[in-house]
Amino acid sequence: MFNSIRPNSLEELLEIIDNGDYYIFAGGTDLFIRKRQWQGAERKFDKDVVFISHLEELRGIFEDRNYYRLKTCVTQDEVANSTLLPDYLRVPYGLMGNPAIRNTATVGGNIVNAAKVADSLPLFYALDASIVLKNIQVDRVMSIKDFIFGRYKTDRYENEIIYEVIIPKEDFSGFRYKKIGSRKSSILSKLSVFIVYKKAHGKIVDIRVSVGAVNDVPIRSEEGEKEFVKDNDIDKFLLTIREMMEGEDDRRSTKLYREEISLRIIKKFLVEIMEE
Amino acid sequence: MIIGFELNGVQVAIETTLSMRLLDVVRNNFDLTGTKEGCSEGECGACIVFLDGKVVNSCMVPMSNVVGRSVVTIEGFSEMERYKKIETAFRNAGAVQCGFCIPGMIMAVEGILRLNKPLTDEVIKEGLSGNICRCTGYQSIYEAVRRLGEEVWNDVQ
Ligand SMILES: Cc1cc2nc3c(=O)[nH]c(=O)nc-3n(C[C@H](O)[C@H](O)[C@H](O)COP(=O)(O)OP(=O)(O)OC[C@H]3O[C@@H](n4cnc5c(N)ncnc54)[C@H](O)[C@@H]3O)c2cc1C
Ligand code: FES
Ligand code: FES
Repeated sequence: MFNSIRPNSLEELLEIIDNGDYYIFAGGTDLFIRKRQWQGAERKFDKDVVFISHLEELRGIFEDRNYYRLKTCVTQDEVANSTLLPDYLRVPYGLMGNPAIRNTATVGGNIVNAAKVADSLPLFYALDASIVLKNIQVDRVMSIKDFIFGRYKTDRYENEIIYEVIIPKEDFSGFRYKKIGSRKSSILSKLSVFIVYKKAHGKIVDIRVSVGAVNDVPIRSEEGEKEFVKDNDIDKFLLTIREMMEGEDDRRSTKLYREEISLRIIKKFLVEIMEE
Repeated sequence: MIIGFELNGVQVAIETTLSMRLLDVVRNNFDLTGTKEGCSEGECGACIVFLDGKVVNSCMVPMSNVVGRSVVTIEGFSEMERYKKIETAFRNAGAVQCGFCIPGMIMAVEGILRLNKPLTDEVIKEGLSGNICRCTGYQSIYEAVRRLGEEVWNDVQ
């Protein structure tokens, strides 16, 4: 047996998780699948469940002078159709899952799940995004890069929730995004490449490149990016990224395929951006 | 516990649990069997309903996320004018074979129409990317939506 709880406020939620070990259930598009047991209609969980999607305090997209703030239970569809957010966030979110999934899957769920194929992570790595974690007593702010330890592993304590994602505002000149998947629907990505950049007087002055779903966590080399801004040497940059790749064969595709294709995509994008 | 929500325009309350799937509630508690169970994991779209006007996979929605909200199933939608247009478009394009995917497909098409975007091939394909049909090979379904787009557009003009 397990209990299901639907707290009436954020404070009540934080009290509940401070006093026991719960599955935190947001959109459920990962949890309903991973934790299910096939015992009739009602989904059985092996520990108690606390639902959070309905809490107003966890919803909404905001901005202030320097940051965009996405509350954890914002849906992927709300990001994709936001009038506040820039295209470099909206476009990739509009390519996640499928329309029905995007209406339930949440921003925070994708981060905490920390799947190798989680499509929001490469974006957040490249954009230097952080999260605010809350427990009943304190808030912690940490970069998403530090929060993700590995495949399905994060630095979250059981009595904490993600409260919001904080994304620094930057006046990028443009972005590139490519996601390659295999299944017809719901394209759980085999690989994705995300690039944002700034140009001034025809020269690249800032560039961020991240690759998703090749390693257990997204690949990004800040050192390599700095070098590239100085020397514009594409082959050298690709070598840096290649050296960071450690993919193993898995059911979705082979190591070589993914590494080669992602390098080819980066190369094409960099050439385009330089010529622009 | 007792959970109240609006179902096809009527206020209802039932004894169920927070983790029960919306799919089971509409099928088992209300006998609304037009909503189908295909894959049970968000891939096939056979179980699509509108939740506060937006398409969702009812196999992935726990009753906790339905409390106080509005649900419309294919039975409710079939009372509306637009349903008849979509149904006719499907019939004329020969887009129905075994019919299993069709209720979910029709709901997804309505989801696309509600975007108020021009119905380009890309918009149609993306809008139906969460619906699996094992019979038609999709071309006749896309064709039905294309024609429907022209018709709906003509209505607006
Ligand atoms: C058909 C289908 C297609 C999909 N396609 C894609 C895709 O293209 N790209 C992609 O990246 N993913 C995809 N997914 C996976 C999934 O939709 C996403 O990872 C989604 O963002 C998860 O969000 P959720 O709210 O549904 O998470 P849930 O299932 O509710 O939660 C996921 C995990 O996060 C935890 N959690 C959630 N919110 C919080 C919080 N605020 N604080 C602490 N812990 C929390 C939960 O306890 C759980 O461990 C797909 C899934 C399905 C079923
Ligand atoms: S049964 Fe719900 S998406 Fe397939
Ligand atoms: S008509 Fe048979 S599954 Fe679509």
